[in-house]
Amino acid sequence: MTNRENFLSLLRRRGFERVPVEFSLCPHLVEVCKEKLGVDDYVEYFGMPWRNVEDLRLLDYDVEKYRKYYEKKPLAEGADIDLLGVGHEKSPNSMHMTYMRHPMELFNSVEEIESYPFPDYASADGSHQAEQVRRIKEQDLIALGNMQTTIWESAWYMRSMEELFCDMMAEDEMAEVLLDKVTELSLIRAKAYVKAGVDVLFLGDDIGMQHTIMMSEELYCTWLKPRLKKIIDEVKKINPEVIVFYHSCGFVEPLIPHLIEAGIDVLNPIQSECMDFEEIYRKYGDKISFHGTIGTQTVMPHGTPKEVKETVWRNLDIAGDKGGLFVAPTHLLEPEVPFENILAYVDACRTYKK
Amino acid sequence: MALIAEISELLQKGKAKNVKALVQQALDENMDPKEILNDGLLAGMMTIGAKFKNNEVFVPEVLVAARAMNAGLTVLEPKLVEIGNEPVGKAVIGTVQGDLHDIGKNLVVMMLKGAGFEIHDLGVDVAPDAFIDKAEEVDADVICMSALLTTTMPRMQDCVDRLKERGLRDKYIVMIGGAPVNDSFAEQIGADYYTPDAASAAETAKEAVLKVKGKNA
Repeated sequence: MTNRENFLSLLRRRGFERVPVEFSLCPHLVEVCKEKLGVDDYVEYFGMPWRNVEDLRLLDYDVEKYRKYYEKKPLAEGADIDLLGVGHEKSPNSMHMTYMRHPMELFNSVEEIESYPFPDYASADGSHQAEQVRRIKEQDLIALGNMQTTIWESAWYMRSMEELFCDMMAEDEMAEVLLDKVTELSLIRAKAYVKAGVDVLFLGDDIGMQHTIMMSEELYCTWLKPRLKKIIDEVKKINPEVIVFYHSCGFVEPLIPHLIEAGIDVLNPIQSECMDFEEIYRKYGDKISFHGTIGTQTVMPHGTPKEVKETVWRNLDIAGDKGGLFVAPTHLLEPEVPFENILAYVDACRTYKK
Repeated sequence: MALIAEISELLQKGKAKNVKALVQQALDENMDPKEILNDGLLAGMMTIGAKFKNNEVFVPEVLVAARAMNAGLTVLEPKLVEIGNEPVGKAVIGTVQGDLHDIGKNLVVMMLKGAGFEIHDLGVDVAPDAFIDKAEEVDADVICMSALLTTTMPRMQDCVDRLKERGLRDKYIVMIGGAPVNDSFAEQIGADYYTPDAASAAETAKEAVLKVKGKNA
């Protein structure tokens, strides 16, 4: 099998020859990688199976237009504003993390949401995408359209989680208008990726907490499931073969049947601290595949290299010969993860014997 | 009494306007502000907290209930001050240094308020000594620390260590929480309690404070 065939076959649960390796490093660990291995591009060095295709390019990148939304509660000095108008305040102590500020937090009418200058993806330029996909595939790699924070999270980043939840609970039209607008923008981006030929579309919205779901099934099914399903239905009309990954942190078990109904193909990251992979695989492993399962709250930072290796092998054994597990650390690896554990993960993937 | 029960019921449904109006009505009828607080607002929050702990309701239900409680409190608080009502205890709370996540911490704030605590919320990225300075300033009973990242969990230890160095460890109940935190970590760093969710945090804080106050009484 080529690497591409191997990857696609693994995720479609039709067997595999090799276990692909995939993880993301925080800026500190990127430096460690440079020091220890003399490697600038760890993605290339460790032979990760996929590469990102760039998103649609907006014609209007100016984020200064959002500054007026912070007049009443000013942003901290040095804060950035992203393409949705969300403010990001930094702290010297917080590494690569930012504190999010919400431009719509003080809104109290539908009109304010309707007149908000959302990024104009309808007129954005996607002429680079097909060429990027072609080059990636030429190198025997998987072309990935990464658009996590697809609906719920983007809407919450703009409105604030508290306000958006309260709008939803009150069945306020503001929630409907905002979620519709965000869905519309994500749909444009998703269709562009799939038309350009990506193999994988990576969607995601956090709907789990450490031990419980973030909202009731009823609230999820009323507000979010139909919108996610709409996006997946539309992209599968363009290419029924596109593999849809979906990310949610935390415990999401009661929502997995709904995600399956919405049309996802692969669920990420199955945090081992929140859900038992063996049980999840037994229940849903014939319908969807999985990406992740190696805990970044437990074994990656605190385990020994041997424990990392055993966990990788145990989970691969659970999925068995047909595959269905793209085994990887569940999240970005943070500074406290020992470098030896990263190498142990890689080695476990490379030396796995069915 | 029916009015008080109705306040609790409507609070649980997140009906902020109705709760506010009924609290006003109860005051107009010369009902005891303490009874309105304890048997109306706080009883409603306790019920929501218990349901949250049992996964019968989730974050959104807690949020709207807390808003209804706050709406009731805006009317009730001046009266409580007037009669000199004491809070159950005083809690200083924040997300530890280097960590900017506050959704979980804010839920704990709501539940603590619902348990009758006076809250001093220091926000995110709070230095170990800042927790202690605030606790000293307001004469707090409890210090609550939150962390979402394994990277920032050691800052909880730093705060406990600083309390010891400043000779204040026994003066405060130290509670910790957050996604990667657990009982064994609490034990390891010498915190008094770990609780897995916001409702348990409030319950544990209240029990712990009452126990200490009982001893000292």
